[in-house]
Amino acid sequence: MKMQIALNKRLHIGLLPLALLAFMGIAFVIAMVRYVSGIGAVSNLGNSYPWGFWISFDLFTGVAISSGGFLMAANVYIFELKQFKPLLRPSILTAFLGYIMVVVALLVDLGHPERIWYMLIHMNGTSVLLEIGICVMTYLTVLAIEFAPVLFEGLKWQKFAHLIHRFIMPFVILGVVLSTLHQSSLGSLLLIQPAKLYPLWWTPILPVLFFTSAITIGLGMVILESSVSARYFKRGLETTLLEKLARVIPIVLAIYLVIKFSQLTIAGDLKYLFTSGLMSVLFWSEILIGAVIPIVLFSIKRIRQSDTGLLTGAVILLLGMILNRFDVSWFAVTHPDPITYIPTFMANNVHYFPSLPEVLVSVGIFSAGILAFGLAVKYLPVFEAEQHHDTA
Amino acid sequence: MTDIKHKAFIFDATRCIDCRACMVACSVENKIDMDKTRIWVAGIGMKGQFPNLTRASMVYHCMHCNEPDCLSACPVGAYSQRSDGPVLYNKDKCIGCRYCMNACPFGVPHFDFNKGLLEGAFIDKCTFCPQRIDIGLQPACVATCPTNALVYGERADLVAEAHARIQAHPDRYVDHVYGEFENGGTSYLILSHVPFAELGLPPLTERPVKEVSEEVMGFTIPFAVTWGAILSGTAVAVHWFNKRKEAVAAEKEAKAEDLQETPK
Repeated sequence: MKMQIALNKRLHIGLLPLALLAFMGIAFVIAMVRYVSGIGAVSNLGNSYPWGFWISFDLFTGVAISSGGFLMAANVYIFELKQFKPLLRPSILTAFLGYIMVVVALLVDLGHPERIWYMLIHMNGTSVLLEIGICVMTYLTVLAIEFAPVLFEGLKWQKFAHLIHRFIMPFVILGVVLSTLHQSSLGSLLLIQPAKLYPLWWTPILPVLFFTSAITIGLGMVILESSVSARYFKRGLETTLLEKLARVIPIVLAIYLVIKFSQLTIAGDLKYLFTSGLMSVLFWSEILIGAVIPIVLFSIKRIRQSDTGLLTGAVILLLGMILNRFDVSWFAVTHPDPITYIPTFMANNVHYFPSLPEVLVSVGIFSAGILAFGLAVKYLPVFEAEQHHDTA
Repeated sequence: MTDIKHKAFIFDATRCIDCRACMVACSVENKIDMDKTRIWVAGIGMKGQFPNLTRASMVYHCMHCNEPDCLSACPVGAYSQRSDGPVLYNKDKCIGCRYCMNACPFGVPHFDFNKGLLEGAFIDKCTFCPQRIDIGLQPACVATCPTNALVYGERADLVAEAHARIQAHPDRYVDHVYGEFENGGTSYLILSHVPFAELGLPPLTERPVKEVSEEVMGFTIPFAVTWGAILSGTAVAVHWFNKRKEAVAAEKEAKAEDLQETPK
């Protein structure tokens, strides 16, 4: 009975969910082709570009935009800034769905997705990828626990919700530690490519830069998801709270810029700033869009206090920072020049550009995430004030 | 030949005639298609103006680094290194993440992008022919090479041999043995009459590319423990501080109420 009502309501809303479902279907079909005929059958990945759009978008961007979850959890539980409680649940939901999307995407990208659990039994301690894998798996579990009370409240199982809430602290701290580790380790993933990653980006402190920028991305995502869902569900927006978050962004971004440029100065890489052609353009684009413009925008009180201003600032910040993730993991990476020596296995796809099916897989997975977010908001107490089960 | 302590190759570009017999040998020995051989001869082509022409070709396969970056990068330990040099790949552990391909500065490991789940897509790379060297034979490519452009032997001897060749004909060679120190030293030593960059070899330092990555990884556990302790401490401190603030506030309120009530 309930199912039917849900269906009717969804049909009423109409186009957006249907479009999302269509994208999911397309992605599913492409994924099946990939499993039957190989990664090369649907993507432009090849031996000269073993990692491409899927890694840059699904892994690097997906993990980064899910960082709001641990930030809000730390705010509310560790620092006891209870005023941020209304933002906690949507952020945890975004993070939870974000990480599920990352894992689903990896199951398409991995050559042997059925062996992903080998990471638990054959551990190679020097591998950054192992650390990320373990952290993501564990953190996904932590997020499930952090989100469980919402589900239980939705199901009216108050006792379980209450139980989890009582023992939440260790999980919150574990979640923050795991997030710190793998948000920064995504940067460490590139440390093994000093000969391949352009010097404007390769630095031993990549993990520090990644973590600092992940904080701004997380704050930007909290603003974005609150603003968009407020518009879509015609819900009141927590503008005063978001204003407080937005106030922090310029500070973190300024720290980021100071670290970045001090590093370039110390490493003696300033000479590449204006002389590297496309690389210089990419570098300055991400610095301007991802850091300088957001610093200016979020420093202006009038912009911070307007819904549109907040949304605009967050979108600009996210675009710039996502460009940074693409630069580091794809645009600024050169594999050994396949023109001078051409092993056959390197001869295909000298210039990599993702194929349409490749992009559609990511679009489909992303659509599933958006749809799940919408459904959760509609049927679970995500945006509602937490129900009273504080024991203290 | 089985008692070689550190097995290695020399490739001498001045001797290579680009006949590609090594590729055929590799294909036959390892039963792999000719377009997926683990060794590859790259003709660099003609350089210069007539009559001063140079021509070079480069024979390329796994460098069998002393400090293998693929081994460091692989999350599931699918790579291993034998005590006598060869770096091996075990497809039974591989999850197909292709991080080794990103890690290898020479772009050696290659992946089968055209095989699905049932056929099984794996990494492939030169194995140093363990099935041959363990019974005292030379690797297939070396055994086949008609001009001795490829030589197999003890690494220390080969390094000496390489330098001896350069000294005997300084006019013929670039004065450098590529692989002696590059990336921490490799088991594939290269001699050339043209700059190594023209052969497509990346300029690398003596520090293996995995070094910084491994150093940073070493911080993981200590950092996690410290960070966890700091966060727990903060949480406790904040909680205690807030409780105290509440208590003080409640006390004040109670007093204020008392004061208000007394006059009545």
